[in-house]
Formats: sequence, C-alpha cells, structure tokens
Amino acid sequence: MSTNEGLENIQEQIVALLPRLRRFARNLVRNPHDADDVVQIAVERALLRQDQWRSDARLDSWLFKILRNAWIDEVRSRGRQAKIFMPEEHGEHVGEASMEREIDRWTAETALTRLPEDQRLAVSLVLIEGLSYKDAAEVLEVPIGTLTSRLARGREALQGMLRLPEGDVS
Amino acid sequence: MTISDETLMAYADGEADAATRASIETAMRDDPEIARRVALHRAMRETMQGAFATVIEEPVPERLIAAARGYARPATATAHSAVADLAGARNAANRKLEGSAARRWQPAALAACLLLGLSTGYLTWHGSGTLIEAKADGLIAGAALADALSSQLSNDRSAGLVAVTGLSFRNKAGAYCRTFLLSADAAWGLACRDRTRWKINALAQAANDTNNANFRTAESALPAPIRAAVEALIEGEPLDQNAEVAARRAGWATTTAH
Repeated sequence: MSTNEGLENIQEQIVALLPRLRRFARNLVRNPHDADDVVQIAVERALLRQDQWRSDARLDSWLFKILRNAWIDEVRSRGRQAKIFMPEEHGEHVGEASMEREIDRWTAETALTRLPEDQRLAVSLVLIEGLSYKDAAEVLEVPIGTLTSRLARGREALQGMLRLPEGDVS
Repeated sequence: MTISDETLMAYADGEADAATRASIETAMRDDPEIARRVALHRAMRETMQGAFATVIEEPVPERLIAAARGYARPATATAHSAVADLAGARNAANRKLEGSAARRWQPAALAACLLLGLSTGYLTWHGSGTLIEAKADGLIAGAALADALSSQLSNDRSAGLVAVTGLSFRNKAGAYCRTFLLSADAAWGLACRDRTRWKINALAQAANDTNNANFRTAESALPAPIRAAVEALIEGEPLDQNAEVAARRAGWATTTAH
C-alpha cells in the first residue's frame, strides 16, 4: 500500500467512525454543537498525528482517546467547565414509572448524565461503544482495575436509577 | 460460593477468562441468585447500548467530514463562527447575497477564505458535482468547469455561466493556469492545464458579495490564498486577450518558454 492510499484509507476510516465519535462526545459535552466542536478538534489532531497510530491498535480506541484529551484541553482552555454536561432537569422522572422491559433511550441517557464523570466515561466506552476493558482503560489512561471499579460503580448507580425488571441488586 | 459482583459483571461483558467463565456457569446452575445477578448485568448492557442511539442516525455535519478528510480550518479558530466549512461558507455567502447589498470585503470574508491542500483525499462538493471531480492525484475540473476554462475568455460575463474565468497566465513549466469563480458557490479557484485536464491547484471560499459588477475586477477581489497561489506559480505577465485567444485556439496545450 502506498503512503497515499494509507492516508486516504485512514481518512475514510475516520469518516466512517464519525457517528460514534459524535456519540461519545455527547457523553462528554451535553450541548451538541460543543460536542461536535470537540469531535472536529480531535479529528484534526488525529490527522496530524496519524503516524502515531499503530495499525494493530483499534482506530476507534485511539480516536476516543484523542477526543477525550481534546475535551480536557478544551475545558481547560476555554474555561467552559460550567457548561460541560449539566444534568438535565427531567431527571426527576427516572424510576417513577414501572420500567418493565422497555426502558426508553431517553431515560437511559438521563440516568447516564447523572453519573460522576469517571463512571460515565467507563460506562460509555464499555457499554455504549463496546470497547473491551483493556481498550477502555487505555482510552481513559487508567489501570484496568480502576476502569473495572468505575464501571461497576457506574452500573450500580444506573441500576438504582433505572430499576431494571429483574429486581434489586442484592 | 461467593462471587464478587465485579467478577459477574466481567463475565456478563465477555471479559472473564475461560476458568472463571466455567466456574461462574457452574455457579449459575446451582444458584439462581447468581444467575439473576448476571442477567441484571446483561440487561444493563442492553439498555445502555440504546443510549444516544439517535446520534448515530443523525447526518454527520459536513464540517466534520471535511475535517476528517483534512480540508477544514482548525476548529479552535472557528468553533462558533457561522462559517465552519465550505458548505457553511457557501450558505453564508448566499445569505449575504440575499440579505445585504454590501459589496465591500469584510474582515470576516478574509477569515472565511479557505485554502485547501489538494494533494490527497478528495472533496465532496455538494451541489456542484460536475464542477469539481476527485481523482487519485487530486482534484480536477469536472466537465462543466473544464468546458468553461477551455472555452471562455476572461472578459466573458454572459449570464448563466457556471464559472467565470479571471486571470490567465503561464506557470514556470509553461502550462496555462487560470483563476475562476464558481458562480453558485462564491468560491475562487486556480486551475492549471495538465495534459487534457484542468487540475485544481487551489480553492478558496470568499464570503463576499459576488455580483457581476464585482468580479469584473477579478484581481482586486481575488481571495488572498488564491492570489498567493498565483504569485507562487506565475511566470511572466498574465495573458492579454490576444494571447488568451491564441491559447484557446491551441487547446491550452503547454508551450515551451517564449
């Protein structure tokens, strides 16, 4: 494969991953426009650093990591901490109705917004984006044990909010 | 047998090793409570998979696609500007045309100039498919634009042209180059003759008013990136009308140095 083909190839792979990058960004930044800004910054960085991507690594994990770091930089540089991911007011509805089998997407998202950031990102990467524990830990730059415990705590908190039909966690 | 919830979670997530998996599966058969806890983790996984699913269905904004293909300006500089990509710039330019009679350059118009690196990748130029075409070695003029570049003289201001040609000159290799303005897109470009094709060397979005009166004075309205590209390539003086007519007659074939 020539260098040019490799370059176009990675660009098109990134294009294909944009929907997922946007979804992950929504877990970082609530405002969709701001979330897309972070995606754009991340994609530009990724292109600049594409020689750092090892082709044996998953491109999605690598991009998620760049995206997360771009978001951290953005929060710092723009002082936008306050705007980042404010829990939405409609969270009060969580757990009111009997949820049965169909817990709607909206409720799941709302519950997710109420998690502390560490847990939210662990849940987002593993449960929504389908990353392995190892890949998710790499994205978040934490040991796998830390990832696992964040994920477990996040799930437990979600369980409390969502009341899945199987009953309470013992 | 006591199994930690984290272990059950890892099992439900497909992260347990073979030995752990076997012991959990035995435990699930023996203890309905363990089976129930595993089911709970699986249900949670399923539930959360649906979160933000609508984002996946949404059309991806053009500016992100452009960024992925290496064509966007830095997001840090443009994050909240109205002009984030070519399509956005075009829309902004169109809105300007509709809403304002202002014909002078705005500082924002200069900021909106977008010089595209064209060596790799390609540009999805919506609504102008026959104007720009992507090839393995870069962008070339599509049929409609190539026709305009090959046939129109620089003083041609007829109504309904897809592109208006501005300046014609020879580059250092003797090939003819021409600047052009895409009428519908308010985008300026520079194309050079490459055998039988017109290869696009530069494109820039100009968010200024592009009425006919304005682009009669092509040089002054030329966006800075295009002007820079012209200055980098030009050999000698721009062609006058007689030279253009001669070049057109010769099919814009590369000439040896004069």
